[in-house]
Amino acid sequence: MEKQRYERPLIQKLENNMPNKFGTRTESAPMTHIDDVAVKDLMDKYGSPLFVISEKTIRTNIRKARKAFETRYPKVQFAWSYKTNYLDAVCRTFHQEGSWAEVVSGFEFDKALNNKVDGSKIIFNGPDKTEDDIKKAISNNALIHIDHLDELYSIQEIAGEMKKKARVAIRVNMDTGIYPMWDRFGFNYENGQAWDALNKIMRSEVMVLEGLHTHIGTFMLSPNAYAVAAGKLADLAIGVKDKYQHEIRYIDMGGGFASKNSLKGTYLPGSDMNPSIDEFAEAIASTLINSNFPPDKLPLLILETGRALIDDAAHLLGTVISNKRLSDGRRTTIIDVGVNILFTSFWYDHKITPAQPFTQYTENTVVYGPLCMNIDVIRDNINLPLLNKDDHIVIQSVGAYNMTQWMQFITLRPPIVMIDPEGEVHVIREKENLDRLLEFENVPEHLKDFTL
Amino acid sequence: MQNYGRSLISSYGQVFFSKNLVFAVILLIVTFFDIYAGIAGLLAVVFTNTTAMFLGLNRQKIYEGVYGFNSLLVGLGIGIYYQPGPEFYIILALVSMITLFFSVAFEGVLGKYGLPYLSIPFLLGIWLVVIATKSYSTLAISERGVYSLNDMYAIGGMTMVRLYEWFNNLAVPESLRIYFKSLSAILFQYHMFAGILIAIGLLYYSRIAFLMSLIGFYTAYYFYFFIGADISELTYSYIGFNYILTAIAIGGFFIVPSWRSTLWVVLLTPLIAIILSSTSFLFSIFQLSVLSLPFNVIVILFLYVLKFRETRIESLSPVVIQQYSPEKHAYNHNNYRERFGSLPWFPMKLPFWGEWQVTQGHKGAHTHQKDWQHAWDFEIVDDDGKAFENSGKRVDDYYGFNKPVTAPADGVVVEVEDGIDDNVIGDMNLEKNWGNSVVIKHAEGLYAQISHLKKDSIKVSADQTVKQGEVLGHCGNSGRSPVPHIHMQFQKTPSIGSATISYPLSAIIINDKSDYRFQTTAIPELDQMVSNPVRNELLYEAYHFIPGQTLQFELTAEGKKQSVAWVVESDIYKNTYFLCKQTNAKAYFRQLGDVFYFTSYEGRKNTLLYYFFLSSFKLVTAYYKDMKITDAYPLSLYPGKFVKILQDFCVPFFRFLHTRFELDYALLTEDGEDSEIILHSETYFTHRKTASPDMQFTITIGVNGIKQLSIQTEKKQIEAKRVY
Repeated sequence: MEKQRYERPLIQKLENNMPNKFGTRTESAPMTHIDDVAVKDLMDKYGSPLFVISEKTIRTNIRKARKAFETRYPKVQFAWSYKTNYLDAVCRTFHQEGSWAEVVSGFEFDKALNNKVDGSKIIFNGPDKTEDDIKKAISNNALIHIDHLDELYSIQEIAGEMKKKARVAIRVNMDTGIYPMWDRFGFNYENGQAWDALNKIMRSEVMVLEGLHTHIGTFMLSPNAYAVAAGKLADLAIGVKDKYQHEIRYIDMGGGFASKNSLKGTYLPGSDMNPSIDEFAEAIASTLINSNFPPDKLPLLILETGRALIDDAAHLLGTVISNKRLSDGRRTTIIDVGVNILFTSFWYDHKITPAQPFTQYTENTVVYGPLCMNIDVIRDNINLPLLNKDDHIVIQSVGAYNMTQWMQFITLRPPIVMIDPEGEVHVIREKENLDRLLEFENVPEHLKDFTL
Repeated sequence: MQNYGRSLISSYGQVFFSKNLVFAVILLIVTFFDIYAGIAGLLAVVFTNTTAMFLGLNRQKIYEGVYGFNSLLVGLGIGIYYQPGPEFYIILALVSMITLFFSVAFEGVLGKYGLPYLSIPFLLGIWLVVIATKSYSTLAISERGVYSLNDMYAIGGMTMVRLYEWFNNLAVPESLRIYFKSLSAILFQYHMFAGILIAIGLLYYSRIAFLMSLIGFYTAYYFYFFIGADISELTYSYIGFNYILTAIAIGGFFIVPSWRSTLWVVLLTPLIAIILSSTSFLFSIFQLSVLSLPFNVIVILFLYVLKFRETRIESLSPVVIQQYSPEKHAYNHNNYRERFGSLPWFPMKLPFWGEWQVTQGHKGAHTHQKDWQHAWDFEIVDDDGKAFENSGKRVDDYYGFNKPVTAPADGVVVEVEDGIDDNVIGDMNLEKNWGNSVVIKHAEGLYAQISHLKKDSIKVSADQTVKQGEVLGHCGNSGRSPVPHIHMQFQKTPSIGSATISYPLSAIIINDKSDYRFQTTAIPELDQMVSNPVRNELLYEAYHFIPGQTLQFELTAEGKKQSVAWVVESDIYKNTYFLCKQTNAKAYFRQLGDVFYFTSYEGRKNTLLYYFFLSSFKLVTAYYKDMKITDAYPLSLYPGKFVKILQDFCVPFFRFLHTRFELDYALLTEDGEDSEIILHSETYFTHRKTASPDMQFTITIGVNGIKQLSIQTEKKQIEAKRVY
């Protein structure tokens, strides 16, 4: 028989509300395995902290998303949002599932090319496209989503010099009844900017208007906003057809679908409250189908969903460094995962689950990271079972943005492993080491030697 | 005039079910072995075809000799019997006319039942004349047949007589001698030389027909021995041609040659013998010969019986489109059936978007039985094969529930039923078993019914036109439906719940454990994961040819340049084809929804059009990288002459020659006006299982259609650039 775990004693104040024979329950069962691979084994082999990505979950997510749209609309194309997670292994999993690439910088563009994505299947978004970026995009037949007029003029000029037509779309922003309205990107629908840009493109000899794009926000909790946006883009497309006899080939509804994470400040957990991808699909597809497009002339529908497809496919494993009590008596737990590698802890109340069995007793705890920085708070208020030093924890749904926005700060960044559908574990990003980092640095000659 | 000449010659070939000119000329020559009979036969055809034209009967049929051949036989028959003279020719003209009338009458009556009239008009015509002329004193019976050597001398002097003698004394087995004589007896000749000539002609016209004539004859020959029948029926009157004609008719002309049709040739032979013996006895009372009566009776009877079959037997299929060649029937029938099925063409699609699973197919275990056996049920399932998430106890848990249901093809809504509640999971509404349904009329006698839709989700109403892909309503759980699903069936009548018909979908994609493949003229089967191919506009437009359009190419082969032009034409039967202006070659094609087919090719086989025909034999106008299109060319296109003759002989039993077409979607470059698609295709003509392609093609397609065609054969490389 295994030796029983020691748990520290706990004194709990009696609440004087309705008695409840169950007491306060913990959030969930321990998470001992990820895709049938033991968390303990992973930590033993690869150390702590450790990012673990489930290839199976990625594939399930994209297939489910595709199914949600493809059974509601005849022509659907997903494009993987590189900025959400541009690890090559992740991108290629999406590309294998038929997704194009959606990039927002020259660096991401090169990454997509390096992943052997055909240039014509790369969507180039974002407000900052350099002259070289535009040249690269035009010569690769990429779809350039124009963000502002200055960019439009640059393309006009560069494509003219290259004597090659640029394939473009405009990003449109609009009032979809949600707050905040994202009007900093693209051309506004209501005030006529969008039409102004469209007119300029249609009169240009060196640009082909391939599509219309919008991206109404991020972590959207209202599918109806997408219905409004799709309707407005459809109106624009039909307007262009009427005015210029030009058929727009696609409508890109962007991304922003909420994942199952819980935003800070929301009362109920995101997994219960956030709309499913089916609800977004229904809103968008039914709007386009009921618009004035003839049934055989429906444009291609492009989705740039990032977060909703990757968030729950990644977990961050960590280890308890110490338990402490604050001056006000609150219990704190220090773990080896800091905000430097878990950027999204600024937005989300991440779900943290111990990786070993625990009793039903929980204590309100503040979870701190290991950094010597006051802002390094992972959860400022969470009911956690009673953890000991060296216990393992699993932070769930960390797939989006963390592995692109993390920083090398104070410590080195941990390795990332991916579990394939057969249960094989692959290191898809090595643990950083000093030598590799120092390769970027140069020390001027006169600073090389010193005596202390 | 040329056509009139053709009508005369064709009448001779028709006796042997042939349109082959060489064979017809041989037959014509043979009839002139008896010069007067020959003249009488030819005149009979002239009288008949002239009368037919004068009456304004169908020209095409006259030119094909359909009306002439019965009179020809009458003419030959009475030409042999009677001495020529003015009276004779008057009688000949009259009997030709009455034979024509009989032909038309029997065509009308038997045609209604889809049966041929064979040589019944001839029988009636000649019997009429024989009986009637018994009292005409001016007509004299010919004695020519009695002294055949005299006749020979008259034709070719002593040499002819010697030749004739030599021929008759040839060491030919008795049975073969009778075979040849029986063949010649069809044209009222009774000697081996004529028989041998006809046999050569028959062999030239069709190996299968020749083989069948031997099988039919020898079966009869041995049957006579076996049963102890009067062999003189065969040896004396040469009435054995009944067996030969029946064998050709059943073994290849009216029925697609197969082992089973050959078996029937053998089985029918004793029946002919019985009819022959019994009718001969009866007819002798009137001093009439039964001639080809047994052949007529058996063939028409047998073809009629086949029409009542309820089980479709693939190896015993009546010929649907008469091509006047047993070989073509054998080679094209299977090819045609495999490619297009046996139904008229109308491009049907799946009534939904995305991928669904067939949860009940044709002749399904649950409800698709009897009159309603040709139907499909579709549900959406996940990677684990489950059709629902969560507990599966609510309709909303089902992936399919509330998904759009679309029109399978363009049409008019004829019936709508809505307002029936969706069942709770597991329950069924047997009262209103079809649930909320829509019936669409696509063509005369072709309706689609879609059922079990969600209550109040139907967006169309009766008399409204719908386009393929238009949303009709949403998938629900109404009627006899325990779980949400789409039910689709095709039927001949508009009411909800009509008896179903089997009708294929034009093209679908089948996902076999992530291995995707196209299937054209598809009947989706149980458990298959199916979806509609998504059209690629570039490819669709490139293969969308409009009658009147001209395609011009600049061709470079072996350093020589040449200009080629094709015109897209359509004929009165709505067939569309490319006509090569330089060579008059024709390549027939169809665009059926998202499938482009070449159906047949006529003309020289070294033209660019032929290569284009081979290169684009079939393709789905959707772009799916790594998906292959395969098909088989009709074997009649096989290039090797000698091996093909060998194959002709054994085609009813087995095939050793194979043809294959393969097409890959090689490359798609999306670049606005400069977008391009490259297709690779290969042609295999082989008698081995594995072989390298005989020809390879690269087709380059741009926004203005086909841009370039490269052909690589074993010997040469041809480049053809489109000139706009």
